[in-house]
Parts: sequence; structure tokens; C-alpha cells
Amino acid sequence: MFRYSFELAALGLRRFPKSTVLVVLTVALGLAACMTTLTLLHVLSADPLPGRSQDLYLAWVDTVLAKPSNAGADVMALNGWKTTNYHNIKLGDAQALLTARRAARQTVVADMEADEVADDGRRAQNQQVVLATTSDFIPMFGVILRHGRDWTPAEDAARTPVAVIDTGLAQKLFGTANAVGRSVRLKHTLFRVVGVIEPFAPQPRFYALGTGAYSSDGGENLYLPYTAALDAGLSPYDADGCDASYKSSNTSDFDPARCASLGLWVQLDAPAQVSAYRRFLQDYVERQKALAGFDKKPRSALTGVADWLKQNDVVPDSARLNVWLAGSFLLLCMLNVAGLLSARFLRRSGEVGMRRALGAPRRAVFLQHVLESGLACLAGGVLALPLTLLGLWILRQQGNDFAGLAHLDPAMFATLFMLALAVGALVGLLPAWRVSVVEPGLQVKSE
Amino acid sequence: MSFRILFSSLRRHSLMPLLVLLQVMLACAILCNVLFLTWQQLEPMLAPSGVDGDDLILVDRLNPPERAWTAAEVQAGTAALQAVPGVRAVSAALGLPMVASYVNMRAYRGPTGAVVGVNDYEGYDLLDTLGLELVGGRNFLPAEYRDMGSDQGKGVPEPVIITQSLARQWFGDASPLGRTLRFPGVEKGPGSVVVGVVRHLLRNRMNVATNGRADNTVLLPERVAKTWWLFYAVRVDPSMRMAALRGVRKAIQRQFGALLPAGSKPRAEFYATRRAAVFKSQRAALWLFAGVALTVVVVTVIGIMGLTGFWVQKRTRQIGVRRALGARKADILRYFLAENALIVGIGVVLGMGLAYLGNAWLMHVYELQRLPWRFLPCGALLMLLLGQLAVLSPALRAARVPPVVATRAA
Repeated sequence: MFRYSFELAALGLRRFPKSTVLVVLTVALGLAACMTTLTLLHVLSADPLPGRSQDLYLAWVDTVLAKPSNAGADVMALNGWKTTNYHNIKLGDAQALLTARRAARQTVVADMEADEVADDGRRAQNQQVVLATTSDFIPMFGVILRHGRDWTPAEDAARTPVAVIDTGLAQKLFGTANAVGRSVRLKHTLFRVVGVIEPFAPQPRFYALGTGAYSSDGGENLYLPYTAALDAGLSPYDADGCDASYKSSNTSDFDPARCASLGLWVQLDAPAQVSAYRRFLQDYVERQKALAGFDKKPRSALTGVADWLKQNDVVPDSARLNVWLAGSFLLLCMLNVAGLLSARFLRRSGEVGMRRALGAPRRAVFLQHVLESGLACLAGGVLALPLTLLGLWILRQQGNDFAGLAHLDPAMFATLFMLALAVGALVGLLPAWRVSVVEPGLQVKSE
Repeated sequence: MSFRILFSSLRRHSLMPLLVLLQVMLACAILCNVLFLTWQQLEPMLAPSGVDGDDLILVDRLNPPERAWTAAEVQAGTAALQAVPGVRAVSAALGLPMVASYVNMRAYRGPTGAVVGVNDYEGYDLLDTLGLELVGGRNFLPAEYRDMGSDQGKGVPEPVIITQSLARQWFGDASPLGRTLRFPGVEKGPGSVVVGVVRHLLRNRMNVATNGRADNTVLLPERVAKTWWLFYAVRVDPSMRMAALRGVRKAIQRQFGALLPAGSKPRAEFYATRRAAVFKSQRAALWLFAGVALTVVVVTVIGIMGLTGFWVQKRTRQIGVRRALGARKADILRYFLAENALIVGIGVVLGMGLAYLGNAWLMHVYELQRLPWRFLPCGALLMLLLGQLAVLSPALRAARVPPVVATRAA
């Protein structure tokens, strides 16, 4: 019976080609809109470091020697600017917490801006973002080494000017991927390249949100010990706040000793370690005698990657809003198709009445029509694929910093397929039921 | 024709009208919200800038060497630009319209307690260089200017020039001239005093240039001195625009080229060029929303047309009977238009409610502005018109049904 119903359904589709095309097109449009926005949201809210991010935590202690003030934040809010606190800490605290070694691994990160010049002076990359960090960064974040080695804790401690660069930069500066042994000049210091890595660009760049959460073109391309970076005169790009005694000469030049400008990431593998570290941080900040007199509660925080991204609203609201809009549009398309199909099915009332009179069960009529709508929606789903790709291409032309990431992946492709099937089944139910309740005798009489 | 007939006919065949109604409701809700989103993109683009932009060159990306620019270097730059043939006026500035890389933010409190966040532009004689239209009061006097970052003018109220829109927000219909503004939370001290009012001045933080906040901008009597950031506004002779642009670029290169850090390229472009670049993403979003709105409209129209077409066909015999009983073509046409108006009318009323609720819910979850009520009737009217348009062809077909159909078995 299924096969017969299927044949009837296929026949039915061919009978009114114009309305079939309309149904297929409408379904395709609705699906494509939904998939385009869902794909963007999926890309933006993906786990930046699958398999690792659940063990990574950002540690924060508030030791900035300044009275808490909201005046600046209010002015910014009035002008539509969100004030952020990226939970950076000062250099002294970072060093103390690093040497305490209470976590399995720990590292500090700070983005810095610098011109990168090849040792022969022939090629340069200007105004690049480099990441000042420690030797733990590469194993901790799962960065893949292509050539050479990462630097050692001893080189961190000795403030040795060494660097690890990615293959892209190696190619640009030295014309070869294996640049181990060459050097890059930052400001006036030569940093010896000890290793070359695969480009490392998790999206979002959760570990250093200050320079932007999403970057279609990567982010940092050079990694160096923060001790050597500070020696070379580089300074952090971004800070959460500075001691009241610190008078900045430049809005984008922060002294890490007195400005909270380093992010401390730790790796904690078990829940017990997490609570122990949390206690350790709070104890640490409560021991800070210098904070007395600044009207501050001793504050600390230990935040996992997922919570951190949520806390900073990293996924733009507009992406979610678009999903809602597209979802309602898909609903509209489904209503539309339900209407078109009802009209189309009920046009055949006479014929259906005849079949019913000749003994076809209600079930058979229902199945035939559900199959017909299912087939139409499946065709719509197939057409939705190129339309989704077009939609994503249009999104990429929008020119904001995250749109460039919008690409279809297998998971979303499967979602599209499932969605098309679900839509097809749902949309056909009502019209198929309506036509299956057609009374046999009555139809034969009146038509 | 009485509405009773209309209603009873609708009740008896409830599936089709119900589907139309649901479609209209949903489409109306979507359309209201999309219209609002579109308007939010459009508003800063349509807002008058107040700037006489045709002959204005803006210079930015003057990255300082590893120290700040000195007051002398800033001065020398101004002098060099003034010497370029075709240049009429030059202002070194901090914060310029259409230059988004540097935004000054402040907030002032008016006498009624209204606190408004503003962008401010600072620089010597910006009023004339930008070509702003003064509608009240006066420009700053040369003696009123203070060197940026210095203690000059301490204890004296700081003169400030505001826009008409700000004057209304702070002082209502009263004259703003000579009145005092204060920073929020600061009760004592000399505060600021309004000395002039310009017609318009577009702020340079574009994503808040909506909801009547586009003109929330003030001018301050600050002379650019030692600074890490530096911009120039240059007004040129309309007859020598291109020559002047080349001259300005050369002068900038000559004056600052040797000092700029490697790789930084200062930019000197006409206001219109900068404006086009600033609104690029807005324009892209606008096209996207317009496309969405159009698709919603097309889908709805097709839906209504398909359903009504079928419905007319189903009632061919009934129409024939009515024609045979003396109904004119116009009566039939009017009947179907009225029927559509009724269904769509109920749909849009529900749709407006849905749009409002949807927006309220989205506002609760995301950072979204409240949907202004005026978008609701706009969306509703649009839907009503579309409904009538969609029903026109099926209704005309119905009107053409000859009375003789009544005598046939359907």
C-alpha cells in the first residue's frame, strides 16, 4: 500500500506543476532563512577548544588600588557603550599566583601590539597583535607545533627573548614555513624563533576578549614570554583599571605593574581542584593589606570558559534575534504551504470521494497526501541548500568582525535535512487530515 | 450586503479563512519588527549631519611616534595645511564627525535634572571649519579657548555650544543661552555655560544615533595641544577641491611623514568618502532587512492569492446563483474585497498584539529597544493593502462568473 500511495503522491505532485513549484519555493525560502541564521549562531556559539575548554578557568583577584567608581561607566552607558571587565590582574599578583603553582598548569596572557620585522630587515608586518604569555600556554591550549619546540619555564624565568610564530607569519617574514633559528625584531629587541606552530585561532578568542572576540583573519601570529616582552618595552593593549596613583600618559599604554592587564588562565582537572583553587584565590585577595582604605570588598573569581563567554555576552544578541526572526518566517512559510496544500488537496475532493466510495480506507488517503506534501518539502529542502549557501555568502558581505566565519558544516547540513523532513511532515498533517475526512457518498453526488 | 452573510459564510468554511488569518497575523508581527529594525539602520543615515560636507577634507590615522605629538608639531601641521593653495580653514581636532576611531563621551545634566549622554568635538574654530549653522548665540571667542590638558580656565564656567535637539531636551522651549549644564553627580563648581546653538551636528558614535539621539553632540573650546591622537578638518575652495586634496596629502606627508611609525599611512579624504565608508555596514544590513521584508510580503501575497483563488473556485456555483438573483459584478467584487478586509483586519489586530508581545519578550531576553507604537499601524496598513491587492485577481475572476453557472450542476 505504501508503494501505491507513494506513486499516487508523485503523480499528484506532477498534476499541478505551478502550485508544486510555489510550495517547493516557499519551503526552500523558509528553510534557507532559518538555516542561514542558525548556522551563524552555531558557528558563534561553538566550543572554542573542544576537549580542553571544560578544564580551563580564568582566575581573577581584584587588587587595583582605586576606589570603585561608577561615574565613567555611567557616562559610557549613556552613550551606548558597554563597560567591560575582562578579569585581568596586575603583574605582581600574576607572578605570585604563577609561582604558587596550585593548578595543573597556569599561564598569563596579554595581547600587545607591535611591528614585526624579519632579522634581515627586508620584510615586516606592521601593527600586529602578539600574545605575551608563558611556556605553559602551548601545551595547555593544545597549540600544534609544526617545527622546532616551545620555550621552556627556564627561558621564562631567564627573560630570554625567544618567540614561537605561526606558519602564516613565517611565510610572510621569511618565505618559508620552517623559520626556526631566524629572529623577529619587536621594537629594538631580536626574538629568536624557537618553534613554528599551526595558526591558532579558536573562535571566539575566549582567552583574550579585549582585542575582539571574533576575528575572521586570526588574531595573534606570534607568541613570546611575557617577561621578555615587557623587557622589550611592549605593553598590554587593554586594561580593566589602574591604581589611583597611576597617571597614564596615553590612553592605550598600560603599565602592567599598576594596571590590571594580564589574564591568568589555569587548568584544573577535577571539581575538587576547582573549589580548592577558588578558596586559594579568595584567601590570597583577603591577605592583601594594601587594599585597606579603598572601600573594597575582597573580590576574586574563577570562571570556566563556557560561563566566561556567557558572562561577556560574546555571542551577539543580533545573531539570536535573527534566528527568532527567521524562525517566525519559517512558520509563516509553513502556514502558507499548509494553505496551498489544502487548496490543492481539496480540489481533488471529487476524486478522493470516488476512491473512498470504491473502498479506499481513510488511512490510505491520508498517507497519500502526507507523502505528497513530504515529497514537496524534501524538494524544498534540496533547493534550500544552495539558497542557504547564498544566504551565508550575503552574511559574509555584511563586513562585521564575525560574519566572515559563517560557513556551513556537516552538522548544520544534517540539521537542514532533519528540519526539511519535520517541516514536510508537520505541514502536510492538517491538509491531509482535511482531505481524508471527505465523505464518499456526498462527493459523488454533488460533483 | 449585511455582515451577517459574510460571517456565516466564513463560519461554515472555517479552514481557509483561518489559514489566511494566521498567515496575516504572523506576517504582520514579523513585518512590524523588521520595519523597526530597518528604521534603526536607516535613522543615522537620514539624520542631517549639520556639516557642510561638500568641500571638507578629514585627516586621520596620524599615529604618533613612540611619544605624544607636541603642541608645536600640531601647530606646525595646522600652519602647513593652511599654506596649501585652495585651503580656506584648518582645525586640529579631537573627535570629528564620520571619524569613528576616536570618540569623546560625556554626559551633562540640565536644570530639570535630565541627563543626556553626548559626544563632543574639540578643536580651534571647528564651528567654521565644519561649516555648522549657528541658530542662536555665538561662536567661541578666541580668549575662551583652553589648551587641552592644561589648567587654563579653571574655576570659570566652560563655554559650550550645543545642538537644537539638545537645547530642547535640556531646556524645553526656554532659551538655552547663558544657562548652566553640569556633569551628573557634580553639584558644585562652575559647570558649563551654553553660549551657542547649532542647527544640527551628527555624533560620531553611530550605533546610538537612533531614537532622536543623532544630534546629541556638543562643541568644546579646547585647543589641541600635546596629544596622542590627532585629526585635522580642512575646508577647501569649491573650485579647487581635487588640487587641494592632493596638496593636503602632500603637506601631511611632508610635515609628519618622517615621524610616523613604520607602516602607518595617514588618510586624507573628503567627507563624502568617509561617510560612505562609515555607513557601509549599515547599508549592507539595510539591504538584508529590505530583502527579508520583501520576501515576507511576497510569501504572504502568494499565500492569500492561492487560498482565495481556491475558495472562489469552490463557490463558483454560489456566485452564479447570486448573479442570477440580480447581484451585479461590482457587488460580487465588493463582497470578496470586504471578506478579505474582514479576515485580514482581524489578522492584523491579532498581529499587532503579537508584534508587541514578541518585541516585549525579546526586549526582556536581549538588549533590544522597545518597538515604538507607530510601527504597528504602519505594518497593519501595509498588510491590509497587500491583502486587498492579493485578493484582487481572484475577486475579479469571481465577478466574471456568468449567472448561467447557476443552472449547471457545478
